[in-house]
Amino acid sequence: MRRLVQGNEAVFRGAIAAGASYYAGYPISPSTEILNVASGWAAEHPEFGFLQAEDEIASANAVIGASLAGAKSFTATSGPGFSLMQEAIGYAQKVGVPCVFVDVQRVGPATGMPTMPGQGDILQVRYGSSGDYTPIALYPNSVAEAFTLAVAAFNAAEESRSPVVLLSDTFVAHLNEVVDLDELEAGVTVAPRELVPLARNGEADPRFFAGVLMYEHGPNAGEPATADADEYLRQFYAAKQRHLAVANRYALFQHGWNTDAKTLILCYGIVSRVAAPLAPDYALFRPIRIHPMLTDELRAVADGYEHIVAIEANDGQYADMAELALRREVKRVPLLGGRISLEAVNAGLERVLGDGPDEPPIPPAPAERATRAPLGIG
Amino acid sequence: MPEAAFAELGFKSKLKMDLFPTIWCPGCGIGTIMIELAMVLDELGLDHTNTVIVTGIGCTGRMGSYMKFESVYTLHGRTLPVAEAIKTVRPELNVIVVAGDGDTASIGGNHLIHAIRRNARITVLCNNNEIYGLTGGQTGPTTPTGTKTLSSPGGNPNTPINLQGIVRSSPHALYARTTVYHQPQMRTAIREAISHDGFAFVDITSQCIENNGRRIGFANANDMLTFYRKTYKRAPKGADRLGPFELGIVYPEGHAERTNGTQTDGAAAADGAAAADGSAAEGAAPAAPAPAEAPTKADRPSVSDDEKARKRAEAQKKLALMQRLDPEVKLRVAKGELTLADALREAGIDPAELEA
Repeated sequence: MRRLVQGNEAVFRGAIAAGASYYAGYPISPSTEILNVASGWAAEHPEFGFLQAEDEIASANAVIGASLAGAKSFTATSGPGFSLMQEAIGYAQKVGVPCVFVDVQRVGPATGMPTMPGQGDILQVRYGSSGDYTPIALYPNSVAEAFTLAVAAFNAAEESRSPVVLLSDTFVAHLNEVVDLDELEAGVTVAPRELVPLARNGEADPRFFAGVLMYEHGPNAGEPATADADEYLRQFYAAKQRHLAVANRYALFQHGWNTDAKTLILCYGIVSRVAAPLAPDYALFRPIRIHPMLTDELRAVADGYEHIVAIEANDGQYADMAELALRREVKRVPLLGGRISLEAVNAGLERVLGDGPDEPPIPPAPAERATRAPLGIG
Repeated sequence: MPEAAFAELGFKSKLKMDLFPTIWCPGCGIGTIMIELAMVLDELGLDHTNTVIVTGIGCTGRMGSYMKFESVYTLHGRTLPVAEAIKTVRPELNVIVVAGDGDTASIGGNHLIHAIRRNARITVLCNNNEIYGLTGGQTGPTTPTGTKTLSSPGGNPNTPINLQGIVRSSPHALYARTTVYHQPQMRTAIREAISHDGFAFVDITSQCIENNGRRIGFANANDMLTFYRKTYKRAPKGADRLGPFELGIVYPEGHAERTNGTQTDGAAAADGAAAADGSAAEGAAPAAPAPAEAPTKADRPSVSDDEKARKRAEAQKKLALMQRLDPEVKLRVAKGELTLADALREAGIDPAELEA
């Protein structure tokens, strides 16, 4: 049935379609609707595990425990909560726990601007936890895509045996669009769980899921490997190659608008919707898989464009990645403070294509007490 | 004591003996806790198909790697959310958390109060050695006031955390206190905690001679155990609160043990040296008002006397048969490499005698 569905609800319904059976979370704008919907779902489906945890640290670790016990599990949060979850994400990367973290971005750092959209967690997803790891992250820009990418995130998590991040932002999360959930559900394929759940390993040696480096196989199995660089290399590259191989199946991006234009716009999430009126005059490259970086795909697309401009609701995080991947200049239009509007996009393009600075002009401090804009949107 | 000898052989099947010796320092109390836990798991018939062990960071956390159970060695302080989620997803599993005092009450303190609030149906064994041992001996949440540690050279200025108070903030939680010296009582406490259908917390005072004891005047681990023997006393039976240096189990309100104040387990009656027999009479046994629909003793998941007698007879029979085997074969049986029935058959003894 076609009906209005909210972005956050679509994420939840996608998770259910992908076989999720455990949710742990802590209320935080603008992700809270996922928690609300999950609690309602749990009330109607006793087999669905639900925990409103005491904080995001508990949520993230509960998701790990639930996954090891055999449930496809996930949590949703926003930037500050995502920061609290980073240690657990590193643990899940090290141990190889399939699970999904939804990060509905708002303006940070810290408590920031809780109800305003931002995209400031792009690099936090990549580098937020300590040490080296190869995360997979997807980012939708519509309600239907929120559903399909939620499914993809769960499947990628199972296939790669790692925590996969589904990015979102305030506007995508609170977007209401008409979709047909039944039709979307009918098209879903679900990756099976390969990791044997706890206490179902038969007569094989009991496993010890540890964040510390341990020998897992061979004559030293069960002993710590905390001073053995060779063992570290074996385990690190096995995980990295597994993640990259799976990521290749999800090398999702959109190359469109006017592909004959001189300027290629890089944008993703809600910004790609806001910038849609640029279609006649610009080409679009919208990465859907944010991590690992779509290096080859972007290189192939970027050849032949005179300018590349990254428009994003952060101070050039994806632009940094793109510049590194392309080894050429990427101009930046940062949409900061939640001001994601066509006017801001146009002003920024005019500035950077006219060889102006990346930074927008800084407005003078008000002399009088400001009256609040009803939605706070500039 | 022949029964003890048999028990010793049985619990070894719960341990990865090939990884021994353990990494713990000589004189450490953790090994004792592990062995008592293994004995209880053996006694309750729990194994790797129905029980999961979740451990936290710290010396204690390594326990999971030595036990023949599927085990999760979590991040520092995060045992409880992991354990609670496992129990939610797989309610049929026994989930046992083993962690130190720092992991449980300091970095994991927030999870502790909320797991208790939600009455997570898990068992927590807290190795309370009153110190951060793995990092060399810094003040922990349970370090007594005045104790000199590497991070409190002038003596710990703070009051130790009240674990009993935190656990007993919930009417549904079971709190037990024991020490590494009082092993039979520890076994009873662990058994009662695992059998409790709700949040159960066993606060196990244990010695860290290397990074605490030797700095505060103990010559060796034995001195510390002697101190526990002399200092800790059995609380009055049915107590609703343990005083300082009192050992015992505080059952939740309305629990059979609280309302009739009797011991249900024969093993407990034969408990260690510190069981002050007169204390029940002297101590003001609390007259906890029994709610009208208080569950009776029979409602508790406890083993009946007949069942216990049968199990004891069975154990004695097994022991008698075991004694007819070669010492080497016995060891293989204990390690779980060989079933007792197979060993008997090889030795020319009819395994049917086991059933007889």
